[in-house]
Amino acid sequence: MEKRDAVPESRTPSPTEKKVNGLELACQRLFDEVPCYISIQDSELRVIEANLKVVEDFGDPNFARCYTLYKGRTEPCPECPVARTFQDGLEHTSEEKIFDRRGLPHDVIVNTRPLRNHTGAIAAVMELFTDITLQKHLERRLHDSLDRFHNLFDVVPCYVSVQDRDFRILEANRQFNESFGGRLGRHCYEIYKKRPNRCPVCPVAQTFEDGRTHSTEEVLIDNNGKQVHVVVHTAPIRDSQGNIAAVMEVSDDITEVRALQDELASLGGLVGGIAHSIKNILEGLRGGIYIANLGFRDNNQQDIRTGWEMVERNVRRLSPMILDMLYCAKERSPRRLPVSLPAVTREVLELYSPRCQQSSIKIEAEVAQDVGMILGEQKDIHALLSNLIGNALDACLSDQDEEKAYCVKVKVFQEAHRAVIQVEDNGAGMDEETRSKLFTRLYSTKGTFGTGLGLLVSHKVATEHGGTISVQSTPGAGSTFTVRFPLATQEERKPS
Amino acid sequence: MTAANTKGKKILVVDDEQDVCAYLARLFQEHGYSVTCAFNGNEASQSLEKEKPDLITLDLSMPDKSGVRFYREIKSDPALSRIPVVFVTGVTGPGGNPKDTERFYRTRRQVPPPDGFIAKPIDQQEILGLVARLVGVP
Repeated sequence: MEKRDAVPESRTPSPTEKKVNGLELACQRLFDEVPCYISIQDSELRVIEANLKVVEDFGDPNFARCYTLYKGRTEPCPECPVARTFQDGLEHTSEEKIFDRRGLPHDVIVNTRPLRNHTGAIAAVMELFTDITLQKHLERRLHDSLDRFHNLFDVVPCYVSVQDRDFRILEANRQFNESFGGRLGRHCYEIYKKRPNRCPVCPVAQTFEDGRTHSTEEVLIDNNGKQVHVVVHTAPIRDSQGNIAAVMEVSDDITEVRALQDELASLGGLVGGIAHSIKNILEGLRGGIYIANLGFRDNNQQDIRTGWEMVERNVRRLSPMILDMLYCAKERSPRRLPVSLPAVTREVLELYSPRCQQSSIKIEAEVAQDVGMILGEQKDIHALLSNLIGNALDACLSDQDEEKAYCVKVKVFQEAHRAVIQVEDNGAGMDEETRSKLFTRLYSTKGTFGTGLGLLVSHKVATEHGGTISVQSTPGAGSTFTVRFPLATQEERKPS
Repeated sequence: MTAANTKGKKILVVDDEQDVCAYLARLFQEHGYSVTCAFNGNEASQSLEKEKPDLITLDLSMPDKSGVRFYREIKSDPALSRIPVVFVTGVTGPGGNPKDTERFYRTRRQVPPPDGFIAKPIDQQEILGLVARLVGVP
């Protein structure tokens, strides 16, 4: 850049001139060394002056147009703060991106200011650029981080919420919104547990108290009223002073794990039940052998017969148990052959009539003859009905009310497009708890008699045949089991 | 222990499994005891009204819970509470040994401890020895 303030050397300057010259030099130094770009443009937008920093980074302006020097453009910028200052004489500010001589971009804040001549007219406009590239870069990174944080917060496959000291939900993620509705500002106990007041043991409160993370297992109720088993972890969120401003609650859905655990527990129950039944059968076998051996020793025909009958009886008890176990162990789809429910029912009733007579329980059958065929496996339907009638008899036998005349009613009829079997008894009945556990895996109230397999098999048969099984029961009054099967269509009934 | 020593000693066998009753009855009879069988708690109570035995073997886990009721009933009746009771059951405690099982029954069924405990499958010598000791047969 050329030197503009050369002082004539011919004469000695006066003290005032010296003072003015010194001031000009100082101004020039300031103009050059100030850590920002400063240039002065004329009304044609030519850069008529620029500081050293501009020359260093953008090259000698040499009266180039500012839009060419700073932006490599051939046309003026559409929004030009310099032009506006020329127009209205006011200062203007804007944010621009300019490119240095190496082509590197600089984010800048531009300030323009008019320079007036002695008449007050605007002779030129000074343009001052503050380089905010670093700030812009940090701002973008902050923005990206926030975006990433929000994405993580949203896509994390847990319920995440942030609560204040009043247990109000300040923020929540997408999964929370999907299950509990986006109701910010409400209390966590209302939203998560549908409670009117706070929970007696609260991990959020504990974290507010001691600043540490806490974990508990909870049962939440979602917006559809469904129970959700979760493991909850809480962590403090601190402000810049280190005070706990909020607590984050992350809840992991373990409902399926719980269900599996329950299933495993009932499987354990089943194994226990089976082992117990086998022990009793084994005891019967040992007893039979013992009594038969006494008979052989004493040549006592009565003992031999009694012992041998015990052996036979207990061997007979084993086979249905093993069949039930095998039935439950396999995932299978039954063959789809036409089966007549009235015919199967008559067979099973015949099988049970000696036992009923023996225990003086009356058995009544109402079998409609016009019930349509269903599709399935005859022996499976047989097993289901045997289980239900056997259970009904057991319910009567275990009731022991001398006033009662025990009766089991078996009904087979057609209802709309369904064939229905109903087995009703006036035995012991069940309470709500027993009833609710009935068709879940393996549940027995029968102690030594039951393994819990029977109803499980019945349930499996019903569902595998596209049917349903339900129960109504009153303790002390009896139970009614109803099984509904879809009827075979005309086409399906034809033998293939 | 001989059949002569046990003569006149009466045992009440309470078990819902008829074959287990038949087995125990025949085993005890073979060793000189006289035996009455009951298939549930109510039958057992009725039997006590007729005749007081020297010992009771009881399956506590019968389906109608009448075993527990019956056991509580005799333990709270001063006239009956001194009759020794032996639990005979297939349901055992976690360790399977008699101590575990006894604790298991006391806590699960809320009943006082029995005088003896026999786990199924029954060991003949074990049950005969225990019964003989409890009824005071040398």
